[in-house]
Amino acid sequence: MSGHETRLEHDLTAEQGERFREYIHEHSGIHLDEGHTDSLRISLMTRATRFGHESLDRYYELLVADETEFRELMNLITINETSFFRFPAQFEALRTFVVPEILDTRSPAVRSFRTWSAGCSTGEEPYSIAMTLLDAGIDSLGHHAEVLGTDVSTHALERARAGVYPPRALLNVPRDRVDRYFEPTATGHRVTDPVRDVVDFRYQNLIKGPHPSALMGNWDVIFCRNVTIYFRIESTRRVVESLFERLNPGGYLFIGHSETLTGISNRFETIEVGGVFLHRKPTSAVRASVPQTPRPARAAAAAEAPQVPVRAVEPEAPASEPSDAAAHLRDARAFADNGDFDAALERLTEALRIDPTLAAARYILGLIHLRAGRTDDAIAEFRRTVGADDDFVLAHLNLGNLHRSRGEHAEACREYEAALGALERSPDGAWSEFLGGFEPEVLIATCRRSLDQCQRIGGRG
Amino acid sequence: MASARILAVDDSPTILAMLEEILVSAGYEVLTAEDGAEALESARNGKPDLILLDVMLPKLDGYRVCRLLKFDQKYKAIPIIMLTAKAEEQSMATGLRTGADQYLTKPVEPERLLEAVADELARAEG
Repeated sequence: MSGHETRLEHDLTAEQGERFREYIHEHSGIHLDEGHTDSLRISLMTRATRFGHESLDRYYELLVADETEFRELMNLITINETSFFRFPAQFEALRTFVVPEILDTRSPAVRSFRTWSAGCSTGEEPYSIAMTLLDAGIDSLGHHAEVLGTDVSTHALERARAGVYPPRALLNVPRDRVDRYFEPTATGHRVTDPVRDVVDFRYQNLIKGPHPSALMGNWDVIFCRNVTIYFRIESTRRVVESLFERLNPGGYLFIGHSETLTGISNRFETIEVGGVFLHRKPTSAVRASVPQTPRPARAAAAAEAPQVPVRAVEPEAPASEPSDAAAHLRDARAFADNGDFDAALERLTEALRIDPTLAAARYILGLIHLRAGRTDDAIAEFRRTVGADDDFVLAHLNLGNLHRSRGEHAEACREYEAALGALERSPDGAWSEFLGGFEPEVLIATCRRSLDQCQRIGGRG
Repeated sequence: MASARILAVDDSPTILAMLEEILVSAGYEVLTAEDGAEALESARNGKPDLILLDVMLPKLDGYRVCRLLKFDQKYKAIPIIMLTAKAEEQSMATGLRTGADQYLTKPVEPERLLEAVADELARAEG
Protein backbone atom coordinates (compact mmCIF):
# COMPACT_ATOMS: atom_id res chain seq x y z
CA MET A 1 0.00 0.00 0.00
CA SER A 2 1.62 3.23 -1.17
CA GLY A 3 -0.49 5.76 0.68
CA HIS A 4 -1.61 7.47 -2.52
CA GLU A 5 -5.27 7.68 -3.48
CA THR A 6 -6.65 4.30 -4.39
CA ARG A 7 -6.25 3.73 -8.07
CA LEU A 8 -7.04 0.45 -9.66
CA GLU A 9 -4.64 -1.12 -12.10
CA HIS A 10 -6.38 -1.30 -15.44
CA ASP A 11 -5.16 -4.58 -16.65
CA LEU A 12 -5.96 -8.07 -15.67
CA THR A 13 -2.71 -9.97 -15.97
CA ALA A 14 -2.76 -13.39 -17.53
CA GLU A 15 -1.88 -14.87 -14.18
CA GLN A 16 -4.67 -13.06 -12.33
CA GLY A 17 -7.14 -13.94 -15.06
CA GLU A 18 -6.26 -17.61 -14.71
CA ARG A 19 -6.65 -17.45 -10.92
CA PHE A 20 -10.15 -15.88 -11.12
CA ARG A 21 -11.22 -18.25 -13.87
CA GLU A 22 -10.11 -21.23 -11.84
CA TYR A 23 -11.86 -20.02 -8.71
CA ILE A 24 -15.08 -19.27 -10.60
CA HIS A 25 -14.97 -22.62 -12.33
CA GLU A 26 -14.38 -24.47 -9.10
CA HIS A 27 -17.23 -22.73 -7.31
CA SER A 28 -19.86 -22.38 -10.00
CA GLY A 29 -18.81 -24.84 -12.68
CA ILE A 30 -18.86 -21.96 -15.14
CA HIS A 31 -15.93 -22.06 -17.48
CA LEU A 32 -15.02 -18.63 -18.83
CA ASP A 33 -12.92 -19.03 -21.94
CA GLU A 34 -10.86 -16.43 -23.84
CA GLY A 35 -14.03 -15.00 -25.35
CA HIS A 36 -15.25 -14.04 -21.88
CA THR A 37 -12.06 -12.20 -20.87
CA ASP A 38 -13.57 -8.79 -21.43
CA SER A 39 -16.72 -9.60 -19.54
CA LEU A 40 -14.60 -10.99 -16.70
CA ARG A 41 -12.27 -7.96 -16.62
CA ILE A 42 -15.13 -5.45 -16.65
CA SER A 43 -17.03 -7.32 -13.94
CA LEU A 44 -13.93 -7.56 -11.74
CA MET A 45 -13.12 -3.86 -12.17
CA THR A 46 -16.67 -2.90 -11.36
CA ARG A 47 -16.80 -4.88 -8.14
CA ALA A 48 -13.22 -4.10 -7.01
CA THR A 49 -13.76 -0.37 -7.55
CA ARG A 50 -16.84 -0.49 -5.38
CA PHE A 51 -14.74 -1.75 -2.46
CA GLY A 52 -11.97 0.73 -3.10
CA HIS A 53 -9.48 -2.05 -3.69
CA GLU A 54 -6.44 -0.89 -5.56
CA SER A 55 -5.45 -4.33 -6.66
CA LEU A 56 -7.31 -7.27 -8.06
CA ASP A 57 -5.28 -9.51 -5.78
CA ARG A 58 -6.93 -7.85 -2.78
CA TYR A 59 -10.31 -8.28 -4.42
CA TYR A 60 -9.49 -11.95 -4.93
CA GLU A 61 -8.99 -12.35 -1.17
CA LEU A 62 -12.34 -10.70 -0.54
CA LEU A 63 -14.02 -12.93 -3.08
CA VAL A 64 -12.65 -16.07 -1.49
CA ALA A 65 -13.72 -14.93 1.97
CA ASP A 66 -17.21 -13.73 1.11
CA GLU A 67 -19.89 -15.91 -0.41
CA THR A 68 -22.20 -12.91 -0.97
CA GLU A 69 -19.60 -11.09 -2.97
CA PHE A 70 -19.11 -14.17 -5.10
CA ARG A 71 -22.82 -14.10 -5.99
CA GLU A 72 -22.60 -10.40 -6.83
CA LEU A 73 -19.70 -11.00 -9.17
CA MET A 74 -21.55 -13.85 -10.87
CA ASN A 75 -24.54 -11.56 -11.33
CA LEU A 76 -22.39 -9.30 -13.45
CA ILE A 77 -20.61 -11.99 -15.41
CA THR A 78 -23.66 -13.96 -16.45
CA ILE A 79 -25.84 -11.06 -17.59
CA ASN A 80 -27.62 -12.37 -20.62
CA GLU A 81 -29.65 -10.79 -23.34
CA THR A 82 -32.81 -12.82 -23.48
CA SER A 83 -36.24 -12.25 -24.95
CA PHE A 84 -39.68 -13.82 -24.91
CA PHE A 85 -40.20 -16.88 -27.12
CA ARG A 86 -36.55 -17.01 -28.08
CA PHE A 87 -36.45 -19.64 -30.88
CA PRO A 88 -40.25 -19.77 -31.30
CA ALA A 89 -40.13 -23.20 -32.99
CA GLN A 90 -39.15 -24.76 -29.66
CA PHE A 91 -42.23 -23.33 -27.94
CA GLU A 92 -44.36 -24.45 -30.87
CA ALA A 93 -42.98 -27.99 -30.46
CA LEU A 94 -43.80 -27.80 -26.76
CA ARG A 95 -47.39 -26.77 -27.46
CA THR A 96 -48.22 -29.04 -30.40
CA PHE A 97 -46.17 -32.10 -29.55
CA VAL A 98 -44.75 -32.44 -26.07
CA VAL A 99 -47.75 -31.32 -24.03
CA PRO A 100 -50.34 -33.47 -25.85
CA GLU A 101 -48.09 -36.51 -25.73
CA ILE A 102 -47.29 -36.25 -22.05
CA LEU A 103 -50.87 -35.53 -20.99
CA ASP A 104 -52.17 -38.38 -23.06
CA THR A 105 -49.77 -41.05 -21.91
CA ARG A 106 -49.60 -40.34 -18.19
CA SER A 107 -51.73 -41.67 -15.41
CA PRO A 108 -55.00 -39.73 -15.12
CA ALA A 109 -54.33 -39.31 -11.39
CA VAL A 110 -51.49 -36.85 -12.04
CA ARG A 111 -52.94 -33.40 -12.46
CA SER A 112 -49.97 -31.06 -12.63
CA PHE A 113 -47.69 -30.45 -15.60
CA ARG A 114 -44.30 -29.43 -14.22
CA THR A 115 -41.70 -27.48 -16.16
CA TRP A 116 -38.36 -26.27 -14.89
CA SER A 117 -36.52 -23.43 -16.58
CA ALA A 118 -32.91 -23.89 -15.44
CA GLY A 119 -30.82 -20.77 -15.94
CA CYS A 120 -33.85 -18.54 -16.42
CA SER A 121 -32.03 -15.20 -16.15
CA THR A 122 -34.58 -12.38 -15.97
CA GLY A 123 -37.64 -14.61 -16.43
CA GLU A 124 -38.52 -14.34 -20.12
CA GLU A 125 -38.15 -18.08 -20.63
CA PRO A 126 -40.31 -19.37 -17.75
CA TYR A 127 -43.02 -16.81 -18.57
CA SER A 128 -42.92 -17.87 -22.24
CA ILE A 129 -43.29 -21.48 -21.13
CA ALA A 130 -46.25 -20.60 -18.93
CA MET A 131 -47.97 -18.73 -21.79
CA THR A 132 -47.35 -21.69 -24.09
CA LEU A 133 -48.87 -24.12 -21.59
CA LEU A 134 -51.93 -21.91 -21.15
CA ASP A 135 -52.23 -21.71 -24.95
CA ALA A 136 -52.03 -25.50 -25.15
CA GLY A 137 -55.29 -25.57 -23.21
CA ILE A 138 -53.88 -27.39 -20.22
CA ASP A 139 -56.55 -25.94 -17.92
CA SER A 140 -59.47 -27.05 -20.03
CA LEU A 141 -58.05 -30.57 -19.96
CA GLY A 142 -58.23 -30.61 -16.19
CA HIS A 143 -54.51 -30.09 -15.58
CA HIS A 144 -52.63 -27.21 -14.09
CA ALA A 145 -49.25 -25.87 -15.08
CA GLU A 146 -46.36 -25.39 -12.66
CA VAL A 147 -43.28 -23.55 -13.91
CA LEU A 148 -40.14 -22.97 -11.88
CA GLY A 149 -37.38 -20.60 -12.95
CA THR A 150 -33.94 -20.86 -11.30
CA ASP A 151 -30.74 -18.91 -11.78
CA VAL A 152 -27.40 -18.13 -10.13
CA SER A 153 -27.98 -14.40 -10.46
CA THR A 154 -30.03 -12.94 -7.62
CA HIS A 155 -30.36 -9.65 -9.50
CA ALA A 156 -31.81 -11.42 -12.50
CA LEU A 157 -34.26 -13.26 -10.25
CA GLU A 158 -35.44 -9.98 -8.74
CA ARG A 159 -36.20 -8.64 -12.16
CA ALA A 160 -37.87 -11.90 -13.10
CA ARG A 161 -40.18 -11.65 -10.09
CA ALA A 162 -41.04 -8.05 -10.97
CA GLY A 163 -42.08 -9.25 -14.42
CA VAL A 164 -41.97 -5.89 -16.18
CA TYR A 165 -40.21 -5.72 -19.54
CA PRO A 166 -39.13 -3.14 -22.11
CA PRO A 167 -40.79 -3.34 -25.56
CA ARG A 168 -37.74 -4.92 -27.24
CA ALA A 169 -38.10 -8.01 -25.03
CA LEU A 170 -41.48 -8.60 -26.72
CA LEU A 171 -40.22 -8.61 -30.28
CA ASN A 172 -40.99 -12.30 -30.87
CA VAL A 173 -44.40 -12.17 -29.22
CA PRO A 174 -47.36 -12.23 -31.62
CA ARG A 175 -49.87 -9.40 -31.20
CA ASP A 176 -52.65 -11.57 -29.80
CA ARG A 177 -50.35 -12.97 -27.12
CA VAL A 178 -49.22 -9.47 -26.12
CA ASP A 179 -52.88 -8.56 -25.69
CA ARG A 180 -53.67 -11.66 -23.70
CA TYR A 181 -50.64 -11.97 -21.45
CA PHE A 182 -49.23 -8.44 -20.92
CA GLU A 183 -50.61 -5.21 -19.55
CA PRO A 184 -48.98 -1.86 -20.34
CA THR A 185 -47.61 0.06 -17.35
CA ALA A 186 -45.62 3.27 -17.00
CA THR A 187 -42.33 1.35 -16.82
CA GLY A 188 -42.97 -1.30 -19.48
CA HIS A 189 -45.09 -4.36 -20.21
CA ARG A 190 -46.13 -6.30 -17.14
CA VAL A 191 -46.87 -10.03 -17.30
CA THR A 192 -50.50 -10.59 -16.25
CA ASP A 193 -51.53 -12.43 -13.10
CA PRO A 194 -52.83 -15.66 -14.66
CA VAL A 195 -49.32 -16.21 -16.05
CA ARG A 196 -47.51 -15.09 -12.90
CA ASP A 197 -49.65 -17.42 -10.78
CA VAL A 198 -48.16 -20.37 -12.62
CA VAL A 199 -44.51 -19.33 -12.28
CA ASP A 200 -42.22 -19.47 -9.27
CA PHE A 201 -38.57 -18.35 -8.99
CA ARG A 202 -35.68 -19.60 -6.87
CA TYR A 203 -31.95 -19.20 -6.53
CA GLN A 204 -30.06 -22.27 -7.66
CA ASN A 205 -26.57 -23.12 -8.78
CA LEU A 206 -26.72 -25.91 -11.37
CA ILE A 207 -23.27 -27.20 -10.47
CA LYS A 208 -23.31 -26.89 -6.71
CA GLY A 209 -26.24 -27.44 -4.40
CA PRO A 210 -28.13 -26.79 -2.31
CA HIS A 211 -30.97 -28.16 -4.37
CA PRO A 212 -34.35 -27.02 -3.11
CA SER A 213 -36.49 -30.07 -2.51
CA ALA A 214 -38.84 -28.89 -5.24
CA LEU A 215 -36.01 -29.55 -7.68
CA MET A 216 -35.51 -33.16 -6.76
CA GLY A 217 -37.55 -34.70 -9.54
CA ASN A 218 -40.79 -35.34 -11.34
CA TRP A 219 -40.27 -32.78 -14.04
CA ASP A 220 -42.24 -33.27 -17.26
CA VAL A 221 -40.12 -30.78 -19.15
CA ILE A 222 -36.79 -29.09 -18.41
CA PHE A 223 -35.50 -26.12 -20.35
CA CYS A 224 -31.74 -25.68 -20.00
CA ARG A 225 -30.90 -23.62 -23.04
CA ASN A 226 -27.56 -21.98 -23.72
CA VAL A 227 -26.50 -22.54 -20.15
CA THR A 228 -24.19 -25.45 -20.73
CA ILE A 229 -22.07 -23.38 -23.11
CA TYR A 230 -20.60 -21.76 -20.02
CA PHE A 231 -19.52 -25.06 -18.54
CA ARG A 232 -16.59 -27.30 -19.34
CA ILE A 233 -17.45 -30.64 -20.89
CA GLU A 234 -17.16 -32.67 -17.64
CA SER A 235 -19.45 -30.25 -15.83
CA THR A 236 -21.88 -30.27 -18.76
CA ARG A 237 -22.01 -34.07 -18.60
CA ARG A 238 -22.73 -33.93 -14.88
CA VAL A 239 -25.45 -31.30 -15.31
CA VAL A 240 -27.16 -33.16 -18.15
CA GLU A 241 -26.94 -36.42 -16.20
CA SER A 242 -28.58 -34.76 -13.23
CA LEU A 243 -31.32 -33.25 -15.43
CA PHE A 244 -31.94 -36.71 -16.90
CA GLU A 245 -32.43 -38.13 -13.40
CA ARG A 246 -34.92 -35.43 -12.49
CA LEU A 247 -37.11 -35.89 -15.56
CA ASN A 248 -40.13 -38.17 -15.48
CA PRO A 249 -39.88 -41.12 -17.87
CA GLY A 250 -41.20 -39.79 -21.17
CA GLY A 251 -40.23 -36.24 -20.15
CA TYR A 252 -38.39 -33.86 -22.45
CA LEU A 253 -35.21 -31.81 -22.19
CA PHE A 254 -34.95 -28.63 -24.28
CA ILE A 255 -31.42 -27.44 -24.92
CA GLY A 256 -30.28 -24.46 -26.98
CA HIS A 257 -31.05 -24.35 -30.65
CA SER A 258 -27.35 -24.66 -31.51
CA GLU A 259 -26.40 -27.07 -28.72
CA THR A 260 -26.12 -30.83 -29.04
CA LEU A 261 -25.97 -33.77 -26.66
CA THR A 262 -23.47 -35.58 -28.87
CA GLY A 263 -20.54 -36.59 -26.70
CA ILE A 264 -22.42 -35.47 -23.60
CA SER A 265 -25.19 -38.00 -23.08
CA ASN A 266 -26.57 -40.96 -25.00
CA ARG A 267 -29.40 -41.65 -22.58
CA PHE A 268 -31.99 -39.52 -24.37
CA GLU A 269 -34.03 -40.46 -27.45
CA THR A 270 -33.75 -37.67 -29.99
CA ILE A 271 -36.58 -36.93 -32.39
CA GLU A 272 -37.09 -34.06 -34.77
CA VAL A 273 -40.38 -32.19 -34.86
CA GLY A 274 -40.83 -29.15 -37.07
CA GLY A 275 -37.10 -28.64 -37.39
CA VAL A 276 -36.59 -28.81 -33.63
CA PHE A 277 -34.62 -31.57 -31.97
CA LEU A 278 -36.36 -32.93 -28.90
CA HIS A 279 -34.58 -35.03 -26.29
CA ARG A 280 -36.83 -37.51 -24.55
CA LYS A 281 -36.11 -39.62 -21.50
CA PRO A 282 -37.19 -43.13 -22.53
CA THR A 283 -40.11 -44.66 -20.71
CA SER A 284 -39.19 -47.68 -18.63
CA ALA A 285 -41.23 -49.97 -20.84
CA VAL A 286 -38.60 -51.23 -23.26
CA ARG A 287 -40.03 -52.88 -26.33
CA ALA A 288 -40.71 -56.52 -25.65
CA SER A 289 -38.81 -58.73 -28.02
CA VAL A 290 -41.00 -61.22 -29.76
CA PRO A 291 -38.85 -64.34 -30.04
CA GLN A 292 -38.03 -65.80 -26.65
CA THR A 293 -34.55 -67.00 -27.61
CA PRO A 294 -31.79 -65.40 -25.52
CA ARG A 295 -29.69 -62.75 -27.25
CA PRO A 296 -26.12 -63.80 -28.12
CA ALA A 297 -23.50 -61.92 -26.15
CA ARG A 298 -21.67 -60.60 -29.20
CA ALA A 299 -24.20 -57.94 -30.02
CA ALA A 300 -21.65 -55.25 -30.81
CA ALA A 301 -19.83 -57.33 -33.37
CA ALA A 302 -23.03 -58.42 -35.06
CA ALA A 303 -24.34 -54.88 -35.31
CA GLU A 304 -21.78 -54.26 -38.03
CA ALA A 305 -23.06 -55.23 -41.45
CA PRO A 306 -22.39 -58.94 -41.79
CA GLN A 307 -19.97 -59.61 -44.60
CA VAL A 308 -20.80 -63.11 -45.67
CA PRO A 309 -19.68 -63.83 -49.22
CA VAL A 310 -22.54 -65.11 -51.37
CA ARG A 311 -20.54 -67.78 -53.14
CA ALA A 312 -18.88 -69.29 -50.09
CA VAL A 313 -21.21 -72.28 -50.02
CA GLU A 314 -19.89 -75.48 -48.58
CA PRO A 315 -21.42 -78.06 -50.89
CA GLU A 316 -20.96 -80.97 -48.51
CA ALA A 317 -22.56 -81.67 -45.21
CA PRO A 318 -23.07 -78.28 -43.63
CA ALA A 319 -22.70 -78.28 -39.86
CA SER A 320 -26.22 -76.97 -39.37
CA GLU A 321 -29.42 -77.95 -41.11
CA PRO A 322 -30.98 -75.54 -43.60
CA SER A 323 -34.06 -75.63 -41.40
CA ASP A 324 -32.00 -73.85 -38.69
CA ALA A 325 -31.37 -71.03 -41.14
CA ALA A 326 -35.11 -70.75 -41.74
CA ALA A 327 -35.72 -70.56 -37.98
CA HIS A 328 -33.16 -67.77 -37.63
CA LEU A 329 -34.78 -65.97 -40.51
CA ARG A 330 -38.20 -66.21 -38.85
CA ASP A 331 -36.77 -64.77 -35.64
CA ALA A 332 -35.01 -62.01 -37.57
CA ARG A 333 -38.26 -60.98 -39.19
CA ALA A 334 -40.04 -60.88 -35.87
CA PHE A 335 -37.25 -58.75 -34.37
CA ALA A 336 -37.21 -56.44 -37.38
CA ASP A 337 -41.00 -56.05 -37.31
CA ASN A 338 -40.68 -55.12 -33.68
CA GLY A 339 -38.06 -52.49 -34.36
CA ASP A 340 -35.20 -54.37 -32.70
CA PHE A 341 -32.73 -54.16 -35.59
CA ASP A 342 -29.65 -55.17 -33.61
CA ALA A 343 -31.27 -58.46 -32.66
CA ALA A 344 -32.52 -58.89 -36.22
CA LEU A 345 -28.98 -58.40 -37.53
CA GLU A 346 -27.64 -61.10 -35.23
CA ARG A 347 -30.22 -63.57 -36.45
CA LEU A 348 -29.61 -62.68 -40.09
CA THR A 349 -25.86 -63.13 -39.69
CA GLU A 350 -26.49 -66.54 -38.18
CA ALA A 351 -28.94 -67.48 -40.93
CA LEU A 352 -26.50 -66.39 -43.65
CA ARG A 353 -23.64 -68.27 -42.00
CA ILE A 354 -25.64 -71.46 -42.37
CA ASP A 355 -27.02 -70.64 -45.80
CA PRO A 356 -25.34 -67.72 -47.61
CA THR A 357 -27.76 -68.03 -50.52
CA LEU A 358 -30.78 -67.23 -48.39
CA ALA A 359 -32.15 -64.37 -50.48
CA ALA A 360 -34.85 -63.40 -48.00
CA ALA A 361 -32.21 -62.81 -45.30
CA ARG A 362 -30.24 -60.56 -47.65
CA TYR A 363 -33.42 -58.71 -48.52
CA ILE A 364 -34.24 -57.94 -44.86
CA LEU A 365 -30.63 -56.86 -44.38
CA GLY A 366 -31.09 -54.45 -47.29
CA LEU A 367 -34.28 -53.08 -45.72
CA ILE A 368 -32.49 -52.49 -42.42
CA HIS A 369 -29.72 -50.57 -44.21
CA LEU A 370 -32.35 -48.60 -46.08
CA ARG A 371 -34.16 -47.76 -42.87
CA ALA A 372 -30.92 -46.50 -41.34
CA GLY A 373 -30.29 -44.28 -44.34
CA ARG A 374 -27.27 -46.33 -45.51
CA THR A 375 -28.35 -46.36 -49.14
CA ASP A 376 -25.03 -47.59 -50.55
CA ASP A 377 -25.14 -50.60 -48.25
CA ALA A 378 -28.81 -51.13 -49.10
CA ILE A 379 -28.06 -51.17 -52.83
CA ALA A 380 -25.17 -53.59 -52.30
CA GLU A 381 -27.37 -55.93 -50.24
CA PHE A 382 -30.31 -55.83 -52.68
CA ARG A 383 -27.79 -56.66 -55.43
CA ARG A 384 -26.66 -59.68 -53.41
CA THR A 385 -30.33 -60.59 -52.95
CA VAL A 386 -30.93 -60.77 -56.71
CA GLY A 387 -27.52 -62.44 -57.05
CA ALA A 388 -28.84 -65.24 -54.86
CA ASP A 389 -32.31 -65.28 -56.42
CA ASP A 390 -32.79 -63.26 -59.60
CA ASP A 391 -36.56 -63.65 -59.27
CA PHE A 392 -36.70 -61.76 -55.95
CA VAL A 393 -39.13 -59.15 -57.30
CA LEU A 394 -39.10 -56.83 -54.29
CA ALA A 395 -35.31 -56.46 -54.33
CA HIS A 396 -35.52 -55.36 -57.99
CA LEU A 397 -38.31 -52.93 -57.09
CA ASN A 398 -36.27 -51.42 -54.23
CA LEU A 399 -33.21 -51.17 -56.46
CA GLY A 400 -35.38 -49.38 -59.02
CA ASN A 401 -36.63 -46.91 -56.44
CA LEU A 402 -33.13 -46.29 -55.07
CA HIS A 403 -31.64 -45.67 -58.51
CA ARG A 404 -34.56 -43.44 -59.45
CA SER A 405 -34.10 -41.32 -56.33
CA ARG A 406 -30.47 -40.86 -57.34
CA GLY A 407 -31.49 -39.74 -60.81
CA GLU A 408 -30.03 -42.90 -62.39
CA HIS A 409 -33.00 -43.49 -64.67
CA ALA A 410 -31.51 -46.05 -67.03
CA GLU A 411 -30.55 -48.34 -64.10
CA ALA A 412 -33.93 -47.75 -62.48
CA CYS A 413 -35.79 -48.72 -65.67
CA ARG A 414 -33.70 -51.90 -65.96
CA GLU A 415 -34.62 -52.88 -62.40
CA TYR A 416 -38.37 -52.21 -62.89
CA GLU A 417 -38.25 -54.30 -66.06
CA ALA A 418 -36.40 -57.06 -64.18
CA ALA A 419 -39.09 -56.92 -61.48
CA LEU A 420 -41.86 -57.30 -64.04
CA GLY A 421 -40.01 -60.17 -65.73
CA ALA A 422 -39.53 -61.94 -62.42
CA LEU A 423 -43.19 -61.42 -61.55
CA GLU A 424 -44.17 -63.22 -64.71
CA ARG A 425 -41.73 -66.09 -64.16
CA SER A 426 -42.42 -66.75 -60.49
CA PRO A 427 -45.54 -64.96 -59.26
CA ASP A 428 -45.36 -66.70 -55.88
CA GLY A 429 -41.62 -66.83 -55.16
CA ALA A 430 -39.97 -66.55 -51.75
CA TRP A 431 -40.38 -62.76 -51.93
CA SER A 432 -44.17 -62.89 -51.96
CA GLU A 433 -44.44 -63.26 -48.19
CA PHE A 434 -43.01 -59.73 -47.92
CA LEU A 435 -45.93 -58.32 -49.89
CA GLY A 436 -47.87 -57.35 -46.80
CA GLY A 437 -50.79 -59.41 -48.03
CA PHE A 438 -51.30 -57.46 -51.24
CA GLU A 439 -52.11 -59.35 -54.42
CA PRO A 440 -49.34 -59.59 -57.05
CA GLU A 441 -51.61 -57.60 -59.41
CA VAL A 442 -51.09 -54.52 -57.24
CA LEU A 443 -47.36 -55.06 -57.40
CA ILE A 444 -47.44 -55.45 -61.18
CA ALA A 445 -49.36 -52.19 -61.50
CA THR A 446 -46.89 -50.49 -59.12
CA CYS A 447 -43.90 -51.64 -61.16
CA ARG A 448 -45.54 -50.63 -64.45
CA ARG A 449 -46.37 -47.15 -63.18
CA SER A 450 -42.85 -46.66 -61.79
CA LEU A 451 -41.32 -47.88 -65.06
CA ASP A 452 -43.59 -45.56 -66.98
CA GLN A 453 -42.67 -42.49 -64.95
CA CYS A 454 -39.03 -43.37 -65.10
CA GLN A 455 -39.05 -43.78 -68.88
CA ARG A 456 -40.76 -40.44 -69.31
CA ILE A 457 -38.31 -38.60 -67.06
CA GLY A 458 -35.29 -40.50 -68.33
CA GLY A 459 -36.24 -39.88 -71.97
CA ARG A 460 -36.39 -43.59 -72.69
CA GLY A 461 -39.32 -45.56 -73.88
CA MET B 1 -64.97 -37.37 -54.02
CA ALA B 2 -62.18 -38.75 -56.12
CA SER B 3 -59.99 -35.67 -55.90
CA ALA B 4 -59.40 -36.03 -52.17
CA ARG B 5 -55.85 -35.97 -50.90
CA ILE B 6 -54.69 -39.00 -48.92
CA LEU B 7 -51.59 -39.24 -46.76
CA ALA B 8 -50.30 -42.83 -46.81
CA VAL B 9 -47.79 -43.81 -44.13
CA ASP B 10 -45.81 -47.05 -44.06
CA ASP B 11 -42.16 -47.73 -43.30
CA SER B 12 -41.80 -50.30 -46.04
CA PRO B 13 -41.09 -48.51 -49.33
CA THR B 14 -42.61 -51.35 -51.35
CA ILE B 15 -45.84 -51.45 -49.35
CA LEU B 16 -45.99 -47.67 -49.57
CA ALA B 17 -45.54 -47.82 -53.34
CA MET B 18 -48.40 -50.32 -53.56
CA LEU B 19 -50.69 -48.24 -51.36
CA GLU B 20 -49.90 -45.29 -53.58
CA GLU B 21 -50.67 -47.37 -56.64
CA ILE B 22 -54.06 -48.44 -55.32
CA LEU B 23 -55.02 -44.90 -54.34
CA VAL B 24 -53.70 -43.18 -57.45
CA SER B 25 -55.51 -45.57 -59.76
CA ALA B 26 -58.71 -44.81 -57.85
CA GLY B 27 -58.17 -41.14 -58.68
CA TYR B 28 -56.86 -39.86 -55.35
CA GLU B 29 -54.02 -37.46 -54.86
CA VAL B 30 -51.41 -39.12 -52.63
CA LEU B 31 -48.84 -37.87 -50.12
CA THR B 32 -46.46 -40.38 -48.56
CA ALA B 33 -44.40 -40.63 -45.39
CA GLU B 34 -42.07 -43.37 -44.17
CA ASP B 35 -41.78 -42.61 -40.47
CA GLY B 36 -43.90 -41.14 -37.69
CA ALA B 37 -42.22 -37.76 -37.47
CA GLU B 38 -42.50 -37.29 -41.23
CA ALA B 39 -46.14 -38.35 -41.05
CA LEU B 40 -46.92 -35.79 -38.38
CA GLU B 41 -45.18 -33.07 -40.36
CA SER B 42 -47.02 -33.96 -43.53
CA ALA B 43 -50.37 -34.26 -41.72
CA ARG B 44 -49.95 -30.78 -40.32
CA ASN B 45 -48.61 -29.08 -43.43
CA GLY B 46 -49.92 -31.12 -46.36
CA LYS B 47 -53.64 -30.67 -45.60
CA PRO B 48 -54.64 -34.28 -46.29
CA ASP B 49 -58.34 -35.19 -46.32
CA LEU B 50 -57.61 -38.62 -44.85
CA ILE B 51 -54.67 -40.52 -43.39
CA LEU B 52 -53.80 -44.19 -43.86
CA LEU B 53 -51.49 -44.93 -40.97
CA ASP B 54 -49.37 -48.01 -40.36
CA VAL B 55 -48.78 -48.86 -36.68
CA MET B 56 -45.15 -49.97 -36.76
CA LEU B 57 -43.19 -46.88 -37.67
CA PRO B 58 -39.70 -45.64 -36.82
CA LYS B 59 -39.27 -42.54 -34.63
CA LEU B 60 -42.91 -42.29 -33.53
CA ASP B 61 -45.26 -45.23 -33.80
CA GLY B 62 -48.61 -44.89 -35.52
CA TYR B 63 -50.55 -44.77 -32.25
CA ARG B 64 -48.58 -41.77 -31.04
CA VAL B 65 -49.01 -39.98 -34.36
CA CYS B 66 -52.73 -40.66 -34.24
CA ARG B 67 -53.12 -39.48 -30.65
CA LEU B 68 -51.20 -36.29 -31.32
CA LEU B 69 -53.41 -35.43 -34.29
CA LYS B 70 -56.65 -36.36 -32.59
CA PHE B 71 -55.68 -34.27 -29.58
CA ASP B 72 -55.32 -31.13 -31.66
CA GLN B 73 -58.48 -29.12 -32.48
CA LYS B 74 -56.91 -28.14 -35.77
CA TYR B 75 -56.43 -31.70 -37.06
CA LYS B 76 -58.84 -33.89 -35.16
CA ALA B 77 -61.38 -33.81 -37.99
CA ILE B 78 -59.04 -35.58 -40.41
CA PRO B 79 -60.21 -39.22 -40.59
CA ILE B 80 -57.49 -41.72 -39.72
CA ILE B 81 -57.51 -45.35 -40.80
CA MET B 82 -54.95 -47.44 -38.93
CA LEU B 83 -53.31 -50.30 -40.79
CA THR B 84 -51.71 -53.04 -38.79
CA ALA B 85 -50.41 -56.54 -39.10
CA LYS B 86 -51.55 -57.32 -35.59
CA ALA B 87 -54.96 -58.82 -35.14
CA GLU B 88 -54.90 -59.12 -31.36
CA GLU B 89 -57.77 -57.59 -29.48
CA GLN B 90 -55.41 -55.51 -27.42
CA SER B 91 -54.13 -53.65 -30.45
CA MET B 92 -57.68 -53.15 -31.53
CA ALA B 93 -58.55 -51.58 -28.20
CA THR B 94 -55.48 -49.33 -28.29
CA GLY B 95 -56.31 -48.37 -31.85
CA LEU B 96 -59.80 -47.28 -30.87
CA ARG B 97 -58.65 -45.54 -27.70
CA THR B 98 -56.17 -43.56 -29.79
CA GLY B 99 -59.14 -42.09 -31.57
CA ALA B 100 -58.55 -43.74 -34.94
CA ASP B 101 -61.71 -43.68 -37.04
CA GLN B 102 -61.22 -47.12 -38.51
CA TYR B 103 -58.95 -50.04 -38.06
CA LEU B 104 -57.91 -52.40 -40.86
CA THR B 105 -55.87 -55.53 -40.34
CA LYS B 106 -53.31 -56.41 -42.99
CA PRO B 107 -53.46 -58.00 -45.44
CA VAL B 108 -56.06 -55.65 -46.83
CA GLU B 109 -57.64 -56.23 -50.20
CA PRO B 110 -57.49 -53.15 -52.40
CA GLU B 111 -61.30 -53.12 -52.74
CA ARG B 112 -61.76 -53.23 -48.98
CA LEU B 113 -59.19 -50.46 -48.52
CA LEU B 114 -60.84 -48.20 -51.09
CA GLU B 115 -64.24 -48.89 -49.57
CA ALA B 116 -63.02 -47.83 -46.13
CA VAL B 117 -61.39 -44.72 -47.57
CA ALA B 118 -64.57 -43.73 -49.41
CA ASP B 119 -66.69 -44.37 -46.29
CA GLU B 120 -64.52 -42.22 -44.07
CA LEU B 121 -64.32 -39.41 -46.61
CA ALA B 122 -68.09 -39.43 -47.01
CA ARG B 123 -68.54 -39.39 -43.24
CA ALA B 124 -66.14 -36.46 -42.86
CA GLU B 125 -67.99 -34.63 -45.62
CA GLY B 126 -71.36 -35.51 -44.15
